[in-house]
Amino acid sequence: MSVPVDEVLRSRVKNLEAMPAMPAILGPLLKCLDLPAEQIEIEKVTELIARDKSIAAQCLRMANSALFSRSSIETIRGAVITLGATRLRDILWSSFLIRMAPRSEWPLNPNAFWEHSFGCALVSQQLAKKIGLPEPEKIYLCGLLHDLGELVNSMLLPDEFRSIAERAVRETISLYDAEKQTLGFTHCDTGNLLAERWNLPSDIRNVIQYHHTPEQAIESAAFVAIVNLSDFLCRLRGMGYGYEEMCVIDFQEAPAWSLLRKSVPHLENLDIARFTFELDSEAEEIRRLVATAFQT
Amino acid sequence: MPVPPTITDQQVESAAERVDPTLIRVRDLIYKVCGIYLPDNKFYFLNDRCDRRLKALKLDFLGSYYDALTTGSDRETEIRSLLNEITVGETCFFRNPQQLSALRKVVLPKIMESKAKLSFTRLKIWSAGSSTGEEPYTLAMILLEESASMLKGWNWEITATDLNDYSLAKCREAVYGSYAVRNTEPYYLQKYFQSQGQSYALIPEVKNRVSFSRLNLHDESKMLFMKGFDAIFCANLLIYFDGASKRRTVHHFYNGLMPGGYFFVGHSESLYGVSDEFRLVHFPGATAYYRPSFWEEVSDERPR
Repeated sequence: MSVPVDEVLRSRVKNLEAMPAMPAILGPLLKCLDLPAEQIEIEKVTELIARDKSIAAQCLRMANSALFSRSSIETIRGAVITLGATRLRDILWSSFLIRMAPRSEWPLNPNAFWEHSFGCALVSQQLAKKIGLPEPEKIYLCGLLHDLGELVNSMLLPDEFRSIAERAVRETISLYDAEKQTLGFTHCDTGNLLAERWNLPSDIRNVIQYHHTPEQAIESAAFVAIVNLSDFLCRLRGMGYGYEEMCVIDFQEAPAWSLLRKSVPHLENLDIARFTFELDSEAEEIRRLVATAFQT
Repeated sequence: MPVPPTITDQQVESAAERVDPTLIRVRDLIYKVCGIYLPDNKFYFLNDRCDRRLKALKLDFLGSYYDALTTGSDRETEIRSLLNEITVGETCFFRNPQQLSALRKVVLPKIMESKAKLSFTRLKIWSAGSSTGEEPYTLAMILLEESASMLKGWNWEITATDLNDYSLAKCREAVYGSYAVRNTEPYYLQKYFQSQGQSYALIPEVKNRVSFSRLNLHDESKMLFMKGFDAIFCANLLIYFDGASKRRTVHHFYNGLMPGGYFFVGHSESLYGVSDEFRLVHFPGATAYYRPSFWEEVSDERPR
């Protein structure tokens, strides 16, 4: 099966060039921010961000969300200093993603894609932190970009995507299942194509490719598993795609859970119910963040 | 070139960081003792309810109130008083729509499918701690809605129990004020209620579907007879029990369920650390506890 699917996939999305390229400043910026903390040049970072007015403005708006910082931040330089490299990188990516696709092309609730992406980024990071995964902040971007393929589908296959969305809403199923039935391939495959083209790090690419089939992930298994569970939690707790999806899950029976158990000792001690309840106030905060990000 | 000591990876700061730390301790205490979790967006509410107790006890600071809750001689009574403030006026028809939707769209079809295979056509539901009857009557309305379709050819019964005779009398009377029907859609109001001046009386068709009886959940011998249920509802009642009696009662509920049955508690109530037997299941916007069945086939059809 995999060969024909792959062929169909490549022929269907041969237009990948039509997808937005990464903004010119993002590459050099990410390179600057990847340096060890003591080598990062604040002035250079500030100057690079300031070059792209729309990213700079978006960046400031996001930086002032309660989700990212406690104090009010008025300048790009202030953002660079207070937020730190990882957080800044997350915000840059978020700003880029927000401006990448016009909301009008999205057939579902217009804010839903971003609420789900930010939600999944945040929940993944909190889950990683809670279960004691080393470097939990690294997973934020994986969560943020896990559904990149939905953007690819909505932009390159707009008609099919519309009918997929309608089918998902009508049958109260996931977009993944609707894509499988309609296209034969899914946003995991198309997302991976774009991730390849953008040269994203392998952790992120593995998450994009396997977040619905974590048992198939050979590398980055813990990240894939966490994003898979967080994706479910978001869809279950009001940070899904804005339609009613009949999703039922027993986390401890989920493939991602057994996968995670291999790398996280004492996973059984996690109070899943409490973690779930905690998310109910996050959902509100996320909606506020997305609404702020789209202010013009 | 400024020294960049501030370029460190800060963690995501949640709204909780800006809240009085004592309030967070009260929240965590409530969760530890009762299993009720108030998320960050309920801090305002919690603060307000604590204020009421501060006034009642003539205390000036939340800190002293926290002491009263933890080290005071009347701490158990005080926790109960605070819980009363938190859950007061919560009862109404259709209180937890997402839970009801899980019952109607997932739980009932699933249970009926496995029962039908064994040629069983009977469902039993128990509302434990039914208070003044809103919950069991809501369940009755939901099942009545399905009686011509999904439940066609099936028998079903709803048992409601409470300790309080006054509440049971209210149940049998089945006349409610407007506050109790604040979540009730006009469709249900018109179909199942008759208005009597300012009040709403349930029609006999609904009243007759629920049988009420007095039951103390601590009464071990009587609990042993509560058997064979497909779903049990017990919202915001176990929170008043201490750890040992909660574990005992939840164990009785487990035994009272058929294998494959579901146990529903309050919206933000958790059984963490209370039961090793039940499995936590997530539905959209709701959680429930599941008694695994032995004959259940291992299915490959997992959600994606």
